Amino acid sequence: MAMASAPKRSAVAPRPAGRWLAQVARELATPRTLLVGGVLVIVGYLAVVPLVYLLHDTFTGPGGLSIDAFTRAYTANSQAGRMMLNSVEFAVGSGALALAIGTLLAYVQVRTDAPLKGLFFAASLVPLIIPGILYAASWIFLADPRIGLINVVLFKPILGHGLFNTFSMWGMIWVQGLHLAPIAFLLMGAAFRSMDPSLEEAALMAGAPRRVLLRRITMPLVRPAIVSAILLMFVQSLESFEVPGLLGLQNGIYVFTSRIYFVLRQFPIDYGAAGAYALGLLAFAVAGVAASGWLARNARSYQTVTGKAFRPRPIELGRARPLVGALVVLFFGVAVVLPVAVLVYASLLKFYAAPSMDSLRTMSLANYRTVLHMPLATTALRNSVLLGVGAATVVMFLTAVASWVVVRTRAMGRRLLDVVAFTPLVVPGLVLGLALSFVYLRTSLPIYGTLWILLIAYSTRYLPYGMRYASAAMSQTSGELEESAHICGASWWQTFRRVLLPLASSGILAGWVYILVVSFRELSSSILLYSPGKEVLSILIWEQFENGQFTTLAAIGVCMVAILVLLVLVAYRLGARFGVDAEGSR
Amino acid sequence: MVGTLAVVVALALSACGKSVTSGGATGGTQAEKVYQQLNALPANQQRAAAIDQAKKEGTLELYTSLTDELVKPVKDAFEKQTGVKMNVFRASSETVLQRTLQETSANRTGNDAIETNFGEMATLSKQGVLSDYRGAAFANIPQSGRFQGWLADRLNIMLPAWNTKLIKPGQEPRSWEDLADPRFKGKLTLELTDSDWYENVTKSWLRHGKTQAQVDELWQRIVANANVAKGHTVMAELLGAGQTAVDAMNYSYITQNTADKGAPVAYRSADGIAHTIAFARPQGVAMMKNAKHPAAAWLFNDWLLGDGQKLLVSLGLTPSVKVEGDKSLQGVTLEPYDVQGLTQDSKTWDDRYDRLLRGLKQIGGD
Repeated sequence: MAMASAPKRSAVAPRPAGRWLAQVARELATPRTLLVGGVLVIVGYLAVVPLVYLLHDTFTGPGGLSIDAFTRAYTANSQAGRMMLNSVEFAVGSGALALAIGTLLAYVQVRTDAPLKGLFFAASLVPLIIPGILYAASWIFLADPRIGLINVVLFKPILGHGLFNTFSMWGMIWVQGLHLAPIAFLLMGAAFRSMDPSLEEAALMAGAPRRVLLRRITMPLVRPAIVSAILLMFVQSLESFEVPGLLGLQNGIYVFTSRIYFVLRQFPIDYGAAGAYALGLLAFAVAGVAASGWLARNARSYQTVTGKAFRPRPIELGRARPLVGALVVLFFGVAVVLPVAVLVYASLLKFYAAPSMDSLRTMSLANYRTVLHMPLATTALRNSVLLGVGAATVVMFLTAVASWVVVRTRAMGRRLLDVVAFTPLVVPGLVLGLALSFVYLRTSLPIYGTLWILLIAYSTRYLPYGMRYASAAMSQTSGELEESAHICGASWWQTFRRVLLPLASSGILAGWVYILVVSFRELSSSILLYSPGKEVLSILIWEQFENGQFTTLAAIGVCMVAILVLLVLVAYRLGARFGVDAEGSR
Repeated sequence: MVGTLAVVVALALSACGKSVTSGGATGGTQAEKVYQQLNALPANQQRAAAIDQAKKEGTLELYTSLTDELVKPVKDAFEKQTGVKMNVFRASSETVLQRTLQETSANRTGNDAIETNFGEMATLSKQGVLSDYRGAAFANIPQSGRFQGWLADRLNIMLPAWNTKLIKPGQEPRSWEDLADPRFKGKLTLELTDSDWYENVTKSWLRHGKTQAQVDELWQRIVANANVAKGHTVMAELLGAGQTAVDAMNYSYITQNTADKGAPVAYRSADGIAHTIAFARPQGVAMMKNAKHPAAAWLFNDWLLGDGQKLLVSLGLTPSVKVEGDKSLQGVTLEPYDVQGLTQDSKTWDDRYDRLLRGLKQIGGD
């Protein structure tokens, strides 16, 4: 790849031809080139392996190259048009909802003196922590037209029937949107923190009203983060299975992933058709990457972290303060308290039943005892923590370097790198699992059957997320700081480590936290790749789900929320000690 | 970096030569020799010899789709009765199949024995990676439980299930045809992947004199009554919670286990009889042709098809061998499961069932 072409190299005078090769070799052997080159090779390798596997299965038939798989997937009674429309509607809807909620929360938390800031932390992270299956299931118990608590308690007495139906497209968008909002919150929070408010102040001085200010100054300044957030959430909604699987199927709302699930469970498995669907997803995603590249053009205009000092000052809400506080409490109640309360309630029962005297009588802590006595619980917890921290660190390091190449250099093929690093997002987890087991079963390295293969799987799956977080952060940091460091005689590595990383740290930390949390949930590739003794928490959860132990599952979910909130708190405290102002201007 | 490049090259090379080969198809593997030796011993000496050799081999590696709560007692009992340690990889039957196929195609068989669903066992058998158990316990297995390369160790009984609070006695479905009745409008749940049930009911109706047109019409009406869910245990959970009133089909042991927890669900009417004719799907156990611990694999098959059958009864499962005290088939009338048809043609039925379900109309709200 083209890492050799550096951004700010002074022109080199012509040299005698004989020494030219030696010169090139010396230039290539710098630590920077080696590091950047190494990272690019690893990123490329991680992303390309599953892709090659997918392409191979999709485009080969019994008689060599063929496109039959597409025919099977998209014609012949497949209702492909309807399915694609559903997918896009679901992805756009939940992405938009999540963006609106996440951005608003992030803005209020970072840039205003809103009350109850402690709630933001929980409101933004808890939905992320609760496994998708559990979050969707808790919304069944809240908003099912017949037994949903909200319907039974609030609307049936007044209207005579339930108002909400979680098994509709709107229900799916609602649940997915709330579940995704933390991505937007983390990304946008990091962006607002790195934004120099002096531009806003200037606009205010010039007499611009707040509305105009928000539309013309604030939002354009955080455009790279918005674009990244939209892209991530759009593709993640396209790719997620829990909500369409649990809520959509009831009324026959099929999306890409429910079709992939269907073809992957047939005998013999039609990998070709699964691949054809996955490539359909990829086409949408690549269009997304291209659009985001176009939207984020003129990258310099977003660089607000420059040589000039700035201190974000919170905006005083004044009389609106109680209103904003009330809205925060409302959101917190709906997105966190209700689902978690249902989980806590369910975790105390033997089998789920709507609240009644009967069910209250049978409440006990038996499920928590079961969880504590699960022979695998400690092993799984340890493995999950190891893998979560490991994958988050590996991915954020790799993507910090890779996004530097994409954002900062004019290297040829940097757009390609961006796209390549994005592809793992659309490779179905099961296909990734198959690809990795295929490769590592055929190498003599001790990877298959160990935690390493899971680390590789997680690092691959979360590469795209790391890339979005890192490049959103990099785009806000101006190149002039690096130049000053360079002029002061700092080596590239020193500059990268002491200037760039700290400046981009709030975005990188946000990405780290995100990957840590979601890796606790990773299931679809883990389930094929784990070996006895290498279980992870998500496997345990899935077991309980498959066994129909919803109440035990709820107990695990409650424990997981507690553990991860603790872990994330520690991460932020540590971050704060190392100078990362992650909690914003409290 | 050099290492990474080496792996890239290895990948490129291996991707070119990708094909699924049956691991050591003919000629008899090392493991098969051990199997033959054990089978050849007099019946009363087999078990002791197998235990002896298995202990020398170390552990038993088992891949299974038995649910988690069943795996633990099986593992404990096996280890206690034989003194041989067992490692279990537990996952859905599809994942068990995938993992086994991946490993055998790379000639790195990771398990010694396997226990999973009918369809997966049939697929593995076709790939030629399984080996026949012919030890002492083989004699007990009824003819209907014997297959090429594997044997049935238990049966999954397919029957409708209902919520006893929402369905009054006498109103429950008493035949598969009943599911089409208007009284179940909006109250029925179908499972996304039950195509083998669909096949069995369809063929049974045709056998009993219905025309294809009548059968199609019945299915249309059933689907018009129904919503769709994924996963039988999830369905049982939602049935207990009153989210749905009737599961068109669930496995009787799942319904029973849910009822045992206190949930208001049943698959037998108040008179103790399941009036709908049930289908019993065989679930299988087998030894791997390239097992690393062949004596342990043989021992597990011998144990599960012998002493293990009583344990399955105590866990609420239906054993494939007649066991005293087994009440799981009380009041149940069985019709044979269409082994032949589903071995040859499961994909066609998958597709047909999928199309049937996708004909679902939107059922919004209450």
